[in-house]
Amino acid sequence: MNAPDRYEHFVVPEGTKKVSYERDTKIVNAGSFTVEREDHTIGNILRMQLHRDPNVLFAGYKLPHPLQYKILVRIHTTNQSSPSQAYNQAISDLDKELEHLKKVFEEEKSRYEVKPRDY
Amino acid sequence: MEGISYQRFPKIRVREMKDDYLKFDLTDTDASMANALRRVMIAEVPTIAIDLVEIEVNSSVLNDEFIAHRLGLIPLTSDFAMGMRFSRDCDSCDGDGQCEYCSVEFHLNVRCDSDQTLDVTSADLRSTDPHVVPVDVAARALSTDPASFDSDQRGIIIVKLRRGQELRLRAIARKGIGKDHAKWSPAATVTFMYEPEIHINEDLMETLTLEEKRNWVESSPTKVFDIDPNTQQVMVVDPEAYTYDEEVIKKAEAMGKPGLVEIYAKEDGFIFTVESTGAIKASQLVINAIEVLRQKLDAVRMQDAEADFKEFSEHLGV
Repeated sequence: MNAPDRYEHFVVPEGTKKVSYERDTKIVNAGSFTVEREDHTIGNILRMQLHRDPNVLFAGYKLPHPLQYKILVRIHTTNQSSPSQAYNQAISDLDKELEHLKKVFEEEKSRYEVKPRDY
Repeated sequence: MEGISYQRFPKIRVREMKDDYLKFDLTDTDASMANALRRVMIAEVPTIAIDLVEIEVNSSVLNDEFIAHRLGLIPLTSDFAMGMRFSRDCDSCDGDGQCEYCSVEFHLNVRCDSDQTLDVTSADLRSTDPHVVPVDVAARALSTDPASFDSDQRGIIIVKLRRGQELRLRAIARKGIGKDHAKWSPAATVTFMYEPEIHINEDLMETLTLEEKRNWVESSPTKVFDIDPNTQQVMVVDPEAYTYDEEVIKKAEAMGKPGLVEIYAKEDGFIFTVESTGAIKASQLVINAIEVLRQKLDAVRMQDAEADFKEFSEHLGV
């Protein structure tokens, strides 16, 4: 009865931005990204990728409420970088990793089609 | 900090590949990536499924929405789904989402005139696009061996009709994702497990009699270990059969020999098993999942400097 429509999980309504950023007023080089209509799929890989950046002091994500389809990603960095920079860097690195993964998968698939079972 | 990248370089090794089943190893990446791929394969790879049903005549024993529900669950060959547009995003149709670019029309027209019960099956669904047909119909068309299909098994049964009962309808199939409704999920099951690393303490193993060794090997619910008939030594015959139940460890402790074996789960090695419904080939499912994940990441990118500039210029009224 009160359940939101299924398309609310992934359709961003008119007027809402997909990603918004709020600087933390009390801590330097810290801020929160609010990503609309995303869930653990993106949140977790972003967070784990941010952990690999040595300039990132803190990286975490949460779903504020299971019926509100958005994630909050909180990032603190050193002076060498900024949360926006770390965020974009993480996304670029993930994109490169997925590109590599796709290439490796297609190569392995063609190789397997020619000669199955190499072990 | 331009030019520095913290990406990983994953490796893939395919173990087994069939049209609807794929088993492969994914290494040198994180559990979050493996899980993201699994989640995307189940819920966000697009397929095509019947979404709108207009019923002209239905005198069967099942009511209209029941039949519409069953029609929606029939898997349709969705090789073109990635390139198709979602009906809600399509601008070439006049808003009702039924144009040729974003949807496929199906017709069903069956009447039972014999005394024998007539099965209305997926084979009776006539598609306007030969590339989008029910999966079992496509499989039967491709199969050259007539004996491979039972003569009774003429397709997925939708409803059964008695003499005089008729079913006539028009159905529209659209692109969608599993997140919206499970009928659009292309995956039957997608699982991954950690690769186990098993170390047997050989010195401690020497202190066991053959009988004790046999008991210990038997205590595992799956066949992970075996006794070499020539050397009477316990060896690992299939490490991946290990299901992370710790029966062998408990048995070793019960026998008074803790530390007989050490089993670790490798943090960065995963064994994926992908089973597809037939809508998309299993290997294509993985490729589509990677593509969809990339698109999602691209949508989540933040244009920081541009956003600040835009806000500033809007503030000025430019």
